[in-house]
Amino acid sequence: MKNVLHWSAPEGTGDGVLYKVKYSVYGVGKWIRKPECRNINRTWCDLSNETADYEEQYYASVKAFLNGMCSDWMETTRFNPLTDTKIDPPMVNVSSTEKSISIILTAPEKWKRSPDGESVSLLQVYPGLQYNVSVLNKKTKKRWFFSVSNNTLVVPWLEPGTAYCVSAQIHVTTPLLHSGFSKEYCIATLKDKTA
Amino acid sequence: RILMSVTEIRSGFTAIKANIQARDPIRTLSILSHPQSLHKVKSSDRCCIIHNLFNFYMDKVFKHCQTEDSYINRKISSIANSFLSIKKKLEQCHNQNKCLCGQESTEKFKQILANYEGLNITSAAIKSLGELDILLDWMEKSR
Repeated sequence: MKNVLHWSAPEGTGDGVLYKVKYSVYGVGKWIRKPECRNINRTWCDLSNETADYEEQYYASVKAFLNGMCSDWMETTRFNPLTDTKIDPPMVNVSSTEKSISIILTAPEKWKRSPDGESVSLLQVYPGLQYNVSVLNKKTKKRWFFSVSNNTLVVPWLEPGTAYCVSAQIHVTTPLLHSGFSKEYCIATLKDKTA
Repeated sequence: RILMSVTEIRSGFTAIKANIQARDPIRTLSILSHPQSLHKVKSSDRCCIIHNLFNFYMDKVFKHCQTEDSYINRKISSIANSFLSIKKKLEQCHNQNKCLCGQESTEKFKQILANYEGLNITSAAIKSLGELDILLDWMEKSR
């Protein structure tokens, strides 16, 4: 939920254009100026702090200035931090025994105002959060897919001394959202001691 | 079955959200979320609020949301149908007295009706429809 407002520079204006930004909470009367985005020449403004309450919805608006002239305020559509967002892949930890792999999945945290701010897991934000897990046998190229709600998965009946690669994705059922798949984490099952 | 209907409502709404919200120029008023947020409703009042809100959408919103766009109209009626199937389920709870209305939820729902009646019917209906994600977010967050 790091929410950054982006816009395009007016056509044909070249350098020298400055911008200012304001935002409002939907259903509440007033527009609020964003001081850190006043008279800026970049074309983005980080409104994560202002839109951190994901139980609210928001509008933002930008005005351009050049040589004493200014544009109209250009307004966004209504922004819902809960649904209008992208989710990062989960963190994946794997360990193995002779015939199984244990996978621990960690959902990313919600954006926080400061590093020492309270951590909120996406699991708290999206009660319907699930994990899709892919497990690939590097030797046979056989792949399994699992869908789990809790954050641990043990894959049994594997071949000893074999490399397996694990990748995982977050899937939220409602609202419908999903992350990309994480990079692959590969691990070998232990060799069969009796062999 | 209710979860499936909510998912259907969510995907139907996602398809028309931008169009419907663009038809609502009033940024400073909300039907559902101000002055009192749905998120402040006590869990004991949830069932009553949901029951009242589903009746509200069936009786006062969908029927007043005709647009000139047949695609949008089809999506609205499919959302209404999903609402109807959930509403029937909720009737069972309501009839078995599992859905009691406390003072707070009665006040909250009165506020919603007051917000609605503060606008002309078409504007109020379109605004309410455009706030469906507020209702769904609240329902899904505390299920």
